[in-house]
Amino acid sequence: MAKMPGQFNELARDPELINDFIIEAGEHLSNVELQLLALDQDGANAEALHAIFRGFHTIKGLAGFLGLDPIQEVAHEIETVLDLARNGSLQITPPHIDVILAGKDYLDRSLAALKEMLETGAAPALGENEALLASIRASAKEPRLEEAVPAALSALAATQEPAQAERPAEAQAIKVDTQKLDFLVDMVGEMVIAQSLVEHDPELGLAGKPRLTRNLAQLARITAEVQRTAMSMRMIPIRQLFRKMSRLVRDLARKTGKQVELELFGEETELDRGIVENLADPLMHMVRNSIDHGIETAAERARAGKDAMARVTLRAAHQAGFILIEVSDDGRGLDAQKILKKAREKGLVEDDAELSESQIHNLIFSPGFSTAERITSVSGRGVGMDVVKKQILKLRGKIEIHSRPGQGATFYLKLPLTLAIIDGLLVGVGGEHYVLPVFAVREMFKPTEGAISTVENRHEMVLVRGSLLPVVRLHRKFGVPPKSEKLWESLLIVTEAEGKRFCLAVDELIGKQEVVIKSLGESLRNVRGVAGGAILGDGRVGLILDPDALFGKAAA
Amino acid sequence: MALATATQDSAAKGDSRAGKYLTFVLGKEEFAIQVLRVREIMGVQQITQVPQTPDYVKGVINLRGKVIPVVDLRVKFGMPEQEYSARTCIIVVQIEEGGAGMLTGVVVDEVSEVLNMQASEIEDTPEFGRGVATPYLLGMAKVKGKVKILLDINKVMNAREIHGLAGALA
Repeated sequence: MAKMPGQFNELARDPELINDFIIEAGEHLSNVELQLLALDQDGANAEALHAIFRGFHTIKGLAGFLGLDPIQEVAHEIETVLDLARNGSLQITPPHIDVILAGKDYLDRSLAALKEMLETGAAPALGENEALLASIRASAKEPRLEEAVPAALSALAATQEPAQAERPAEAQAIKVDTQKLDFLVDMVGEMVIAQSLVEHDPELGLAGKPRLTRNLAQLARITAEVQRTAMSMRMIPIRQLFRKMSRLVRDLARKTGKQVELELFGEETELDRGIVENLADPLMHMVRNSIDHGIETAAERARAGKDAMARVTLRAAHQAGFILIEVSDDGRGLDAQKILKKAREKGLVEDDAELSESQIHNLIFSPGFSTAERITSVSGRGVGMDVVKKQILKLRGKIEIHSRPGQGATFYLKLPLTLAIIDGLLVGVGGEHYVLPVFAVREMFKPTEGAISTVENRHEMVLVRGSLLPVVRLHRKFGVPPKSEKLWESLLIVTEAEGKRFCLAVDELIGKQEVVIKSLGESLRNVRGVAGGAILGDGRVGLILDPDALFGKAAA
Repeated sequence: MALATATQDSAAKGDSRAGKYLTFVLGKEEFAIQVLRVREIMGVQQITQVPQTPDYVKGVINLRGKVIPVVDLRVKFGMPEQEYSARTCIIVVQIEEGGAGMLTGVVVDEVSEVLNMQASEIEDTPEFGRGVATPYLLGMAKVKGKVKILLDINKVMNAREIHGLAGALA
């Protein structure tokens, strides 16, 4: 029944209409998924049922308008099932949900195919929907449950109003191109700098000019507010991401035959779009890890005296300029002995090394600590926890795991609120200013002459708290004449790169500043040791240093 | 006969080369680039050095919130460097590289004026003899008795080495 692309009607060839359809249908589908999961929890949730019905109904209408028949057919059949449920002649059960989810997945795939068509011009491959249609139709014929009718009917009457109240809320948001948003944030950053340049201009002679002072202060307040608002526009709640996990947990629970319940806290916590997008994979992996390795089967749980229904909890919260995310389960926890044994086998730990409990737990993040031994269809696909850690580090975050045997394990993630801004130390070498990301800095000090030693008369080392650290002189790396060649007259900053520490020698510390990260452009993209540029408070460009490239493997 | 062909050639090519040019001074020569390529002109500001770049890349500047590279045309053309003065300007041009437009600042001694060049005023670049490749020269224009060198700024920026031009023109 799937039609060939040539049979799409004229409207379907209008890329703008198709694009609108993809966006709108996509939104409906993600909402549908959410509501389906709610319906799965509570079969009599009429509000969810209505929302799902509306979603498929709209998609059906739009697809019909564009002549996208395969999509319309699937949406139509699902609508039929939902309609039966709405008028009480069908009780929604997990098998129904499965079928509807399958239909939703088909629509997702179709949207992806349409998108590909727009990008590549290739004919859309809307998959075969015959089998799916049959299964949806079959599910509509499941035995009627008469006793459900009154309940569904009364619920229906009760929820008519909230369903309508939802409408105006949708109109309060508009879609904006992210590029425009980024440009706005850039320009606002410039405005803040320009404003501070004017405010501190000595030519103003503010003394004895109270009105000018007052007006400037007012301008400063407004500028700061505009900046805050512009920044907040790039932030989105973590809700969407968490809800994706609901689906994952449901699927995994069914696949592994375990009973798992997902609890979400702090869904409204907002963070940068870029982070949310890059967090999906690591989070999915952690949840998968928890369900597959952490959570026991119902029988095991009963033996341990636990509730048969296992719990996975996702929690997000703001804390002092960071965002904290927890992924915890109430499963069996990490087996420290087993981890240690395996780490020794792999040569990750010396045989006689004494490790604390938490050090052992953190071994699972080491590269090469594969989960290969316990490969299942769910986890152990060659993606280890080290990849998760790498991704979190790339987002300039931290990850830790805590575990209590028999009671469960928790992953703690600490992430910055945004990727666009970093906290930087402004350091000076000669006449140049550089920005060193604070997250890489451990400590800084002025060395004494005696603490410095050389190896082969070339490589300099310095003794810091009992350990010898190599010294990297920034002025030599960058070919900038320093204020002093004497190491004990410069400032050493203990910096961490790829897990190793080194001392970066600079002339002086100028200050600390939050900066907006900018690209140096295509032609200067491959400058080693430089991660980008930032506009400093005086309007100049400061280069942002990349500790990994200054030291570490990349520099060798 | 050869001369006649060259003239015809130049007349045919002249059509596409005619138009508005921004002229500027570099040493004793006057150069011109197509106005369509020019985004803006600004005075010299603080340039941040970028390590590991060729000597003609002076560094990067802040163009209203955008970070763009700056090239010193004197160094690029192998002329002796000169202290920047109040007349020194950065011309921001749009360069096409690999299909993408990219803004680049070009440091010149002094910006003169915008001229409308007629096809009849534009001549082909004369041969400078062997060893002097001039693919980035669009031609020469004689306006009010003065010679202006028309640059294809795109090719100037994309050429790896352009040393020796100053010598050839001197």
